[in-house]
Amino acid sequence: MPADAGGATPILSVRSLSKRFEGLLALGGVSFDVEKGQIFGVIGPNGAGKTTLFSCIVGSLVPTSGEILFRKRRIGGLPNDAVVRRGVVRTHQIVRPFREMTVAQNVSVGALFGRGKRRGAEAASRVAAVLETTGLSHRAGALAGTLTIGELKRLEIARALATEPEVICLDEVMGGLNPSEILAAMALIRTIRDAGVTVLMIEHHIHAVVGVSDRILVLNFGEKIAEGTPREVVADPDVVAAYLGDETNPLLEECVS
Amino acid sequence: MTPAPVSRRTLPWLLFAAAGLVLLLAPRFLDRGSLNDVWNVAFGVILACSWNILGGFAGQVSIGYSAFIGIGAYTTVLLALKGVDPYLTLPLSALLAAVFAVLIGLPAFRLRGPYFTIVTIGVSEAVRVFASGVSFTGGSSGLRMPAGSFDFSVNYASMVALALAVIALTAALSRSPFGAALGAIRQDIDAAEALGIDSTRFKLGAHAISAALVAVAGSLYAINFQYVAPGSVFDFRLSLSIVLMPIIGGVGTLAGPVLGAVIFSYLQIKLLTIPALRDSYLFIYGGLLILVMLFEPKGIVGLWNRLAASVRRSPGGSDAR
Amino acid sequence: MQELREVLLNTLLAAGLYATMSYGLAVIYGVMRIINLAHAGLMMLAAYVTFALYTRYEMDPFLSLVVVIPLFFLLGVLLHRFVVRRLPRTTGTPTMQSLLLLFGVWLVLQNLAYALWTGDTQSILTPYTLKSVTLLGVRVGVPNLLVFGVSALSLLALNFVLKRTYLGRAIRAVTQNRDAALLSGIDADRLSAITFGAGTAFAAIAGTSLSTLYAFTPDFGRSFLLKAFCIIVLGGMESFTGVAAGALVLAFLENALAAWTPIPTSFQDAISFTLLVLVLVAVPQGLPGIARKVARWRASS
Repeated sequence: MPADAGGATPILSVRSLSKRFEGLLALGGVSFDVEKGQIFGVIGPNGAGKTTLFSCIVGSLVPTSGEILFRKRRIGGLPNDAVVRRGVVRTHQIVRPFREMTVAQNVSVGALFGRGKRRGAEAASRVAAVLETTGLSHRAGALAGTLTIGELKRLEIARALATEPEVICLDEVMGGLNPSEILAAMALIRTIRDAGVTVLMIEHHIHAVVGVSDRILVLNFGEKIAEGTPREVVADPDVVAAYLGDETNPLLEECVS
Repeated sequence: MTPAPVSRRTLPWLLFAAAGLVLLLAPRFLDRGSLNDVWNVAFGVILACSWNILGGFAGQVSIGYSAFIGIGAYTTVLLALKGVDPYLTLPLSALLAAVFAVLIGLPAFRLRGPYFTIVTIGVSEAVRVFASGVSFTGGSSGLRMPAGSFDFSVNYASMVALALAVIALTAALSRSPFGAALGAIRQDIDAAEALGIDSTRFKLGAHAISAALVAVAGSLYAINFQYVAPGSVFDFRLSLSIVLMPIIGGVGTLAGPVLGAVIFSYLQIKLLTIPALRDSYLFIYGGLLILVMLFEPKGIVGLWNRLAASVRRSPGGSDAR
Repeated sequence: MQELREVLLNTLLAAGLYATMSYGLAVIYGVMRIINLAHAGLMMLAAYVTFALYTRYEMDPFLSLVVVIPLFFLLGVLLHRFVVRRLPRTTGTPTMQSLLLLFGVWLVLQNLAYALWTGDTQSILTPYTLKSVTLLGVRVGVPNLLVFGVSALSLLALNFVLKRTYLGRAIRAVTQNRDAALLSGIDADRLSAITFGAGTAFAAIAGTSLSTLYAFTPDFGRSFLLKAFCIIVLGGMESFTGVAAGALVLAFLENALAAWTPIPTSFQDAISFTLLVLVLVAVPQGLPGIARKVARWRASS
């Protein structure tokens, strides 16, 4: 655990956040805190409101009620681009590359217009550093439209990192990856955290999320049903009943240890 | 075969500078009729390349650009009637058009894709209806510039210089961070915003720049023809040709709008001289639009790239490597 | 009081025609997610065909609908078969490519009209064109009444098809939930062809109606196209009752402004365009969006 955890003020605070679509309650008063330097997992069945939560945090959706505080300042309701320039960025579950740009150009968009707003050589070195971290250096000149799905997932992360975020929200970056790619992705997420970026991650791949997270939030039908360390969460009877199922439990215990 | 690797980058600029010099010196060796043709092409190039900044780079297709030609033309004529030197009115034309572009853009850019396009048709119709109905535009009979010494060579030089400047500007823009933002907006506006791009601000900027350039062209147009009427400068067909030139040449590319403007202006000049074809220009415009949209949305430049790629792949063209 | 009655009656009469020309656009948008800019050209062409039938064969303009409707349905199907179908299929939002393609079709239609009928202004003058009757104390033109009758009949027919036939249910299903409906085995290609034919036929009904009320040139139809856009945007793009409400709102605004404000009628067209911009910007979901908001507000208070 990071040294400043416990008692320190959270970098991101979500306070009774609700989001309603046309009568459907996607999020019903969710609250939680994320400490600086944590890897914070968000899990839950399909339709639990996980992506809606991320969309509200970064401002691509306007919350119906509740507050989102980043470094004690309210960001709920700000437009997406303004939130990014303050230092909170997200990746998309369904990748959205700029297909007519090269990988390096894609990443440079983040460097040019994110929190860092780098220009010229500074932008170029930022792009090079991020491509190195995400293992895309050898594909820098390739058109984004020609990448494999694993590379596209890493490009999503690379672009988001290029904005120089303090908090990065990763939406299922391991979906569709093979086991060795998943291991690499877990290593990448730790690298990102070690570089000082707080990580929130939605993940269906339960081994990965339990293996890498410091804390986990469990959503079901838009409500928080549990929050705690991976060990606490997998032992929680509500979570087991609502989501995990008895038979997977021993397996989970195994991957926590 | 290639002397130095640097030339790949500098060669187009050298060619561009040489062509520009030749065109600017053309009055020394071309007759008035040919100079008029060059003037027309330069006018088309300004319109097409300026439109391309918003419509091509940022992907926001507007079918209402005649409004900016009208604003430029009327600013110049109205001030000239008050005794101002016509060429001194150019900055004001640009400014007024940019302000109008921002005012229209503020609501209109909240809409995406085709909805924005429809609003631009509506706005240009509203402007045309308004301009034909009020008295200061001279109504349907229009306004004439005050009688004075009109010098075609000054107007020619201004139009050609502006066309060259607009080409250079779009080339510079496309490599700048501003151009990168517009490209990101065109390809995926949500992803662009998710990386920190304030899409509305960039779209407004692109709209204002392109409107200002088009308005200056409109001013030069009014000076050349010494006459302006709502029916000519606010005409829907003018908006139409502004859109067609870059689309036929290759929307969003650098060479496309120039190519489109040259072909289009030439076509128009020819069509006007052949009576049988004068009545079928809409058929040609519409037919070209249909062909481009069905077979090659990137226009002639796209077609060229496709051909070049297939030549490179085929064994016969392997000596190109 | 008299004035109010006049405004309301004229609103109703105009709304019938407005709804007819908007449904053609709305049904194509709903099923195919295509904004049919050629709609204006099709209205114009129908006006000329009606004109030709009247001058050549002395066929009454309203009677000529018997010829015009099937003819334009066929034209729509052919247009779909040879032009529209070649577009890459759209999933969610309409594409620029389809908009500009149909813009090209509009220009070709315009040129066709120039070639066949020159650019001169034409009009259809029947024995009853200038006649009027008194209805509820308001003098109303006979052609306006007939146009309203045609509109009402075609809207009833459309309603019947949409509510009572398999085809209509398929159209409504695709309009309301595109992905689910297309996955459930509806023949999308055939449905699109029929829809495009029907949309074109509605454009033709509107065009024939307009030809009995206004003079026209090959450039005719643009302002009516913009009105139709305004209406379907007001109506919420996908809602069929919304379109009728949108037509009423626009017709009322135009008539009310003409009767009670000093705005010259030459600026009337500018009203609908301004309204279009305002609505698109302020309430992107149109009238149904406002209705839902009001309903929610009343439920919560």
